[in-house]
Amino acid sequence: MITVEGFGQSANLGKVEPRPMITVEGLAKSYNSTPVLRGIDHQQRQGEAVVLIGPSGCGKSTFLRCLNRLEEPDAGRITIGRVCVEAGQREGDGEQHRRQQELRLQAGMVFQSFNLFPHLTALQNISLGPTVVKGLPRPQAEELGRQLLAKVGLETKADFHPGQLSGGQQQRVAIARALAMEPQVMLFDEPTSALDPELRDEVLRVMRQLAEEGLTMIVVTHEMQFARDMADRVLFFDSGRVAESGPPDEIFSNPQNERTREFLKKVTTR
Amino acid sequence: MSDAWRCSRATWLPLVFLLAGGREFPLQAQDHLQSIRASGVLRWGADAEGGAPYVYPDPQQPERLIGFECDLADALAAKLGVKAKMVQNEWDQLIPALERGNFDIILNGLEITPENQQHISMSLPYYVYAQQIVTRKGTEHLVSLTELKGRRVGVLSGSVAQRLIEGEGGADLRIYPGNVEALRDLKAERLDAALLDLPIAIHYARPDPALKFSGTAFAPGYYGIGARKQDITLLAALNQAIGELSQEQVLERIYRKYGLWDERQAALEDYRPAAVAAQKPISTLHEWPRYLPLLLRGAVVTVELSVLGMALAVVAGLVVVLVRLYAGAPLSGLAQAYVEVMRGTPLLIQLFLIYYGLPEIGIRLNPFFAGILGLGLNYAASEAENYRAGIQSIPRGQTEAALALGMGRWQTLRHVVLPQALRVVIPPVTNDFIAMFKDSSIVSVITMVELTKVYGMLAMSTYDYIGLGLMTAGIYFALSYPASIFAGRLEKKLSYDHR
Repeated sequence: MITVEGFGQSANLGKVEPRPMITVEGLAKSYNSTPVLRGIDHQQRQGEAVVLIGPSGCGKSTFLRCLNRLEEPDAGRITIGRVCVEAGQREGDGEQHRRQQELRLQAGMVFQSFNLFPHLTALQNISLGPTVVKGLPRPQAEELGRQLLAKVGLETKADFHPGQLSGGQQQRVAIARALAMEPQVMLFDEPTSALDPELRDEVLRVMRQLAEEGLTMIVVTHEMQFARDMADRVLFFDSGRVAESGPPDEIFSNPQNERTREFLKKVTTR
Repeated sequence: MSDAWRCSRATWLPLVFLLAGGREFPLQAQDHLQSIRASGVLRWGADAEGGAPYVYPDPQQPERLIGFECDLADALAAKLGVKAKMVQNEWDQLIPALERGNFDIILNGLEITPENQQHISMSLPYYVYAQQIVTRKGTEHLVSLTELKGRRVGVLSGSVAQRLIEGEGGADLRIYPGNVEALRDLKAERLDAALLDLPIAIHYARPDPALKFSGTAFAPGYYGIGARKQDITLLAALNQAIGELSQEQVLERIYRKYGLWDERQAALEDYRPAAVAAQKPISTLHEWPRYLPLLLRGAVVTVELSVLGMALAVVAGLVVVLVRLYAGAPLSGLAQAYVEVMRGTPLLIQLFLIYYGLPEIGIRLNPFFAGILGLGLNYAASEAENYRAGIQSIPRGQTEAALALGMGRWQTLRHVVLPQALRVVIPPVTNDFIAMFKDSSIVSVITMVELTKVYGMLAMSTYDYIGLGLMTAGIYFALSYPASIFAGRLEKKLSYDHR
């Protein structure tokens, strides 16, 4: 049977030597010989919520997009769960292609601009992935979709098209859509940046709930309060590198890096 | 009788003339003989496209026109003390063009018939023609009109041969824009026989080893020069000139030069102009119950051609665009080349290649399928471009969201991109569908008798371009308007932005 609460058992299960859920080694990426990622190493245990902050153009979004192969990295190795993909091989390679698909199934993605499918209802948006990719029968996929809509507080909007929903509601549907594939990890790429301030909370509330349930997640955001409250660890990105990392209290109260201090000063006095 | 490639385009031209001022527009009241003498030029209208042996480009020197009517025009002009100048005009539109004043006379195998004399004057005859049946070597004898019944017979559009076969009835009549095409199809075994004027048969069919004359020529008639009704002194001068040329045996010399002299020409002497009873002008609008059904029968063919042609274009276009956007390097380049070539060359040429060119490599399509193939393959290029614009209008984020869910490329296309693109491409595809309704008239060049062709044929015999034109335009509109309403409804139905 399908259960919705199956994403990575709760955090306290992994007290004994938790094996890393995400391992990134030497990830590098350039656009037209301009380096965007300059060799990133990152490890994240199961159930850990990591927040990426940093000035725009620092590479944090690219990092996220490399993790599920929306961008092809130039170098490095990415392991999520048991799936490992190495950069360099072309997509035409059958085996590489298969593993890339598997990697994508490990990681759910939530976009800044929602990217809901406008021709489908909220429910269809959620059930499309499971039916098409996993071959789940439609009734079961729709049952799963209704459970997820309820989870994000939109059970009454199942038959609405994205165009009939507010931005916050759309983003919650988008989260439900990603959850429907039952990923090991959720990637959030500035999920609230396109939203009016009064609509951000409903999205952040859902994300908070997911973090509390022990879902492994990486969030790129400018919501410093959210980072402070929710993150197990904060990574400060600067010029394609991880300039500083640590628990939110340390980073926000006592930043060691000069660039971190500058950045935090800017965003907190804004 | 000239042998010309007559495109259906020619049939709407007169309508344009009418709308721009009507037949009365350029007519001067006085006789043209004086102005011809003053300018020193006699302008004669004829069609040199495939016009041998009447008037045609010299194969050795294509910029020069030759033919027995060329020599005749020079001789006539000399008698009038002027120079002759040929004016090119579609053959079946020579009479309206003369009435408009595009040239002074028609000298191009125009038969002296009561129909032709309704609108213009005809001179004394200058040649006695007859009809010749031509078949393939080795086929049984088909020597008379009655024996042509049940056979596929090719004729030139608007010719005496067409009228003879229609009068006799029973034959599977195929109407061609030119005699050359009819003889080609005869050789390609798409016809059992062709009926044409003897001079054309002598020039084109006699030297061809694959063809033979079947029986002797029959149904003699006279060619005469056409002049405007009010040009009475010009006509008298032409008649006098023809008489003199005949007596001086200039005519005989010219016809012998082209191998056209025969004993029938003695009948030139016997010609007595018959009094032509003026017919009441026909108003097809008042007699619509007679004409509308004929037009509607043509409309059925138009609908069949464009619906099937569009169905082919819609499917083939999708294949082309998918190959172009998603296949590997050599294939996608091929698809792009297909689009460029089909868009960059005229539909008319493509049709000729499919219908007359393919038989040379053993592919023989009937006119209906050749027409559908031509229209469909041509429009496929345009539909492919419509689809490409539609697919590329879908934001990149849609594809990314689908890929992030783990969908493959084809799944992404099938479930995310194409359903959204469909709505975007409905207006341009509808537009093309309506355009094809009208473009389908071009297949009349490969003997399909569709709506515009029926209009042209009826207009030629009734001269009621306005009445028939209004009816024909009305039918086209009645067909295309529901299509655009349907497309509008479909677009609304597929709309998902209900805000």
